[in-house]
Amino acid sequence: MEKKVLTSDEKKVLNKMFIRSHLVFLSFNMVKMEANGFTATMAPAIESIYKDDEEGKKAAYLRHQNFFNTHAVPFSFIAGLAYAMEKEHKEKNSIDGQTIESIKAALMGPTAGMFDSLFFNCLRIIAAGIAIGLCSQGSILGTLIFIVLYGLSQSLVKYFFVNWGYVYGTSFIDAVFSSGLMSALTKAASVLGLIMVGAMTASMVNVPLNCTINIGETSVVVGDVLNSIFPGLLSVVLLFLMVSLIKKGKRPTQLIVGILIFALVGAFFHIF
Amino acid sequence: MVEAALQICIAYYIIAILDPYIVSWQCLNRPIVVAPLAGLILGDFHTGIVMGASLESIFMGISAIGGSIPADATTSSIIAVAFTILTGASAEEGLAIALPIGTVMASISSLFTPIWASFAVYWEKLAVQCKPNKFLAQNLVFSCLTAPLVNTIILFLAVSFGVEGLNAFLASLPAWVMNGLAASASMMTAVGFAILTSMIWNKEVGVFFFVGYVLVAYAGLNTLAIAILGVAVAVTMFFSEKRIIDMKNSMSTQNANQGGTLANDEEDFF
Repeated sequence: MEKKVLTSDEKKVLNKMFIRSHLVFLSFNMVKMEANGFTATMAPAIESIYKDDEEGKKAAYLRHQNFFNTHAVPFSFIAGLAYAMEKEHKEKNSIDGQTIESIKAALMGPTAGMFDSLFFNCLRIIAAGIAIGLCSQGSILGTLIFIVLYGLSQSLVKYFFVNWGYVYGTSFIDAVFSSGLMSALTKAASVLGLIMVGAMTASMVNVPLNCTINIGETSVVVGDVLNSIFPGLLSVVLLFLMVSLIKKGKRPTQLIVGILIFALVGAFFHIF
Repeated sequence: MVEAALQICIAYYIIAILDPYIVSWQCLNRPIVVAPLAGLILGDFHTGIVMGASLESIFMGISAIGGSIPADATTSSIIAVAFTILTGASAEEGLAIALPIGTVMASISSLFTPIWASFAVYWEKLAVQCKPNKFLAQNLVFSCLTAPLVNTIILFLAVSFGVEGLNAFLASLPAWVMNGLAASASMMTAVGFAILTSMIWNKEVGVFFFVGYVLVAYAGLNTLAIAILGVAVAVTMFFSEKRIIDMKNSMSTQNANQGGTLANDEEDFF
């Protein structure tokens, strides 16, 4: 893989993306989590790639408005990579939209786990350890060191990550494409993406059933029975119900309002 | 008391917007930064710094894994510092006052979670309008005016009028409203995942969704372990696909040679 030399236009876009990649939790919500932050970070890239192509632009914005959730530092790496993929998608049509989705989905889970351990459970503890020592003696230096070690360091890593994501992403996609193996990559990426989405569904979607049926002397906890058949059976049923409704053309608004009403009615009848 | 409460609330509001929304370090909202700042605003910097050290040790183990944003450490630290400076109590006494306020705040602000979530659809509509500056501006205003502002108002009420009133408000809500809202928040994530799944779903490999699911639900593995297994499957898949592609290519080259033409096999394949 040859190292790519960045043009001034690409540098400009990457710098903008670096600044915007600080808005990870922008309008954070339970439906799409960090999607708004990701869209805002991708905006400079999408604008520079698609320019007058309104249809392509729309599709790209929609793609990066999908559910997204990871640690704030690898967030910028994935954004850089997504920039590379969008560029290849538009200019050479070497990678399709579905593969971009799959690669993003495949990366968010493991990067979140890795960087939570690295930054939150390791670097933060070290920084806090130093800072607590200094602050307990009444020195504000402790707080400043904490901000530099645990805060600014994240921005520094982010800066390199967004560039690496773009540079290595571009050369990787080029290498795969020129060897004619894109369809193999597409398949491998969708396998990995689906595995990770399945894993995240298991850990993040939850139908908190709290329903007990009394039959004479014995009482049956419905949630436990269902979970003993298949753990989180209802989460999977809910997810695929949503998928089939989306495929039938139902709008997300209807689904969200539907869930809200269903949850309130269910709670009223003591199902939740 | 109201004036001090106002100062505390302004400090809280600034921090709540700055981190996580603007810098997303989850660093400036830690007690070791928040406590000195609260001390500075209330006119006793030194107490703030020293309390920052002890509060940070207390809250060090409390983590925010999985996307939730911790408000408790931030709120509790600010209130504890304020209480200590204003009344001369010890850090532990300050914290004893602060923790119930943090808890009330968390439960009231969780009532709003489904409301913020229902805006997801609006953001999608706004994004496909292809007006990135409008998108960014509205998101920034929204982020400043929703969760941080609601929390600040709750904090103000709690500090100036006591937690009893807020607890009474929570108790006056029927249990099913609280349960229903909490249940809806955890089920709404299914909508986000469903959109994502329907985008990357593919009949040929769709079953792999359940591989990932079972590895968490039955085996209880963490995402990194699953990713390594997933990469193993994906790499195997990649090379078996590669073999098929190579075979097809060599066959088409043979055919081309037999036909006596030198067609580009790459283009043939695509």
